[in-house]
Amino acid sequence: MDGNREILAFHHVAAGYGEREILKDVTMSVKEGEFVGLIGANGTGKSTLIKCISGLLPLKRGNITVCGRENTELKTKERAQLVAVVPQSYHVEYDFTVEDIVMMGRHPYMSFRKREGKEDYDIVEEAMRATNTEIFRNRFYNELSGGERQRVVLARAIAQKTKVILLDEPTSALDIHHQIEVMELITRLNREEKITVLAVLHDINMASRFCGRMVMLRDGVVLADGTPKEVVNRQNMETLYQMKLMIRQNPLFHKPEIVPIRVMEEERAKAPLQIHVICGGSGAVKLLEELDAKGYRVTAGVLNRGSSDWEMCQELHIRCVEEEPFTPITEKKQEENQKLMEDADVIVVADVPFGEANLMNLQGLEKMKGKLYFHKNALSSDYTGEGLVKQLEHIQMTKKIRYVGDHDEFLRCVAEDGVRLNEAGGELDSVQVSGGTKP
Amino acid sequence: MKGKNRTLGILLSILICIIIMYLCTMSGISAISLQDASRIIAHEFLHLNVSMEGISNGSILIIRDVRLPRVILGFVAGASLAVCGAGFQGIFKNPMADPFVLGVSSGAALGAAIGIVFHLNTSLPGMSGTMILAFAGAFLTIGLVYNISKVGKKLPVATLLLSGIAVSQTLSAAMSVLMILNKQSMDQIMFWTMGSLNGKGWNQTLMVLPYVLVGMILLFSSARELDIILTGEDTAVQLGVNVEFLKKKVLFACTLITAAVISVTGIIGFVGLVVPHMVRMIAGPKHHVLMPLSLLFGGTFLIICDTAARSMVAWEIPVGIITSLCGGPFFIYLLRQMKKNG
Repeated sequence: MDGNREILAFHHVAAGYGEREILKDVTMSVKEGEFVGLIGANGTGKSTLIKCISGLLPLKRGNITVCGRENTELKTKERAQLVAVVPQSYHVEYDFTVEDIVMMGRHPYMSFRKREGKEDYDIVEEAMRATNTEIFRNRFYNELSGGERQRVVLARAIAQKTKVILLDEPTSALDIHHQIEVMELITRLNREEKITVLAVLHDINMASRFCGRMVMLRDGVVLADGTPKEVVNRQNMETLYQMKLMIRQNPLFHKPEIVPIRVMEEERAKAPLQIHVICGGSGAVKLLEELDAKGYRVTAGVLNRGSSDWEMCQELHIRCVEEEPFTPITEKKQEENQKLMEDADVIVVADVPFGEANLMNLQGLEKMKGKLYFHKNALSSDYTGEGLVKQLEHIQMTKKIRYVGDHDEFLRCVAEDGVRLNEAGGELDSVQVSGGTKP
Repeated sequence: MKGKNRTLGILLSILICIIIMYLCTMSGISAISLQDASRIIAHEFLHLNVSMEGISNGSILIIRDVRLPRVILGFVAGASLAVCGAGFQGIFKNPMADPFVLGVSSGAALGAAIGIVFHLNTSLPGMSGTMILAFAGAFLTIGLVYNISKVGKKLPVATLLLSGIAVSQTLSAAMSVLMILNKQSMDQIMFWTMGSLNGKGWNQTLMVLPYVLVGMILLFSSARELDIILTGEDTAVQLGVNVEFLKKKVLFACTLITAAVISVTGIIGFVGLVVPHMVRMIAGPKHHVLMPLSLLFGGTFLIICDTAARSMVAWEIPVGIITSLCGGPFFIYLLRQMKKNG
């Protein structure tokens, strides 16, 4: 097989409805054997592109070639022998059986003279077997569940024996079991039957996991095109969805994964204090994000590279002191950390388990001018033996520690602190404060 | 229904159909015994060597030239309307569509009314001016509706239905005006619009047949594509159906058939609506079963109604009244059944 043959090619394609142009200038191609995911926000023209290929929507400019042939010159039947389409959801009001529906996939090969033959029945049989739909072959299509229906439509597309299958959000109406089932089926077709796949997907994580290549549409043009790693980055995704989000590596599939955070802006803190977060595991992720979103000037340390807290700092460009992964924190690093928190108005020890390796994080806190908060959970995940308690006692000799039960309580305290500091000026610890109790 | 079942079902229906045709030819107001009638058919049509002793010429004439052609024309008309109904319900994806939904009947009626009012006659055997005008009216109407609703190369179904209704209403109004201005022709026009097989013989039957045959071939050859279009036009295109061509083809075939039939019989309602519906409930939506069965049941249904129309009372009741009288309540019954079944 010639792996570089272009199955689908778009040259400066523009199309739309009436005066409105949905696709403005799309140029891309899909090569034989590829599994390409087409992503984009709602209304960016993903489904329109599929309509253009299947000849349902005439182009305003540009052209599309299918297997090297000009799309507009293909007869409806010829096109249906090259391209199969699996729509988003597909309702049939009439009582057709599953087998009837799958057999419809053979229509492009029939004519007035040639009717269903043994070969067609064999192909239909095979398609139903591949999709596990042969068990309800005689049931009515409109009595099946969403997931079953989608498998039947997939079987119909397989029966079409085409070079390429286009899928228009094939999983959007399904629960995760059926979503994965459909995506696995498609992957298998792509790998085993060598069918080229172009799928419109609105679920970025699904696309990133299953597609070899992703193409991102925005405002009717291709904004990014490449491997999931190249396409799914924070910059692309934030332009695409206009919201705050985070990209992380899914450890199971080694594919980038999007974590949507928020669309509406968090209410900004009235007084953006400087806050230093002592963390290092995964307990401070949410806190870091919220503090950042509220407009506080955040720093953090000392973090082992690779930890979730560290990833979040990277994402948000929070200044932090780093240490190699799985390495105890050295005195040198802690000195850097102390430097970083020197000017902080507030220092918080987040929900982080303490052991010998990171106890160093607490060294020298008593010398800092910032008001000190301590998350109570840290006490219950204490693996230092006596170390943590002793260290806290040591700090408490010269500096007050305010214990908080959870991060929300901390956020409330910090907001109050901010107002107070604004009124009084100077250092927080010198101001008489309420809130914060002993453990 | 597939394979063997389909063949079996169709063969059984053909058998029932022949029996009913036979019985209907036998029955009527003039008492001709079953045995005599059978002998007449065997002798006159099958050219068997049967003794014709004791059978009057009148009886032979009634069976050969009156009842049998009427039964056959009835069958052709009923079959035609039912198959066209199935075809229209297919392309419109609407179970409420019937052959007259686009106004073919109003066009034909207006044509017929003009023919009646102006007493147009022709020298063609069996073909009156009324028939020719009705046929022309039917075709012109569909041509008009088609041209109104065409958008570029496409024929949007919704626009087609709406312009059909609009044109149909206008033509009906025109016919009413014609009737009011010519009160003396009113009865005749009214009678025509109710549909009747009265006085129709071999000439008319043979005249209608070519149109019906051509139309039927076009429709039957579209069976698979009609199945697919029922699942949605976009999908049909993606499965290789030339949807726009199919719509035009079905529209043309149905117009050809219905125009020919109703120009001879007048407007016979409800057959085209109810029969395909009923068949779909029994045999499912697949057109390669739906259309042949609609043909057989539609034909049979109309023969039964026509036999009732000519035998119940001493004078003729227009068969269109009978079909509607039977069809209406039956249709309501079906709708209620459907509601019960969800």
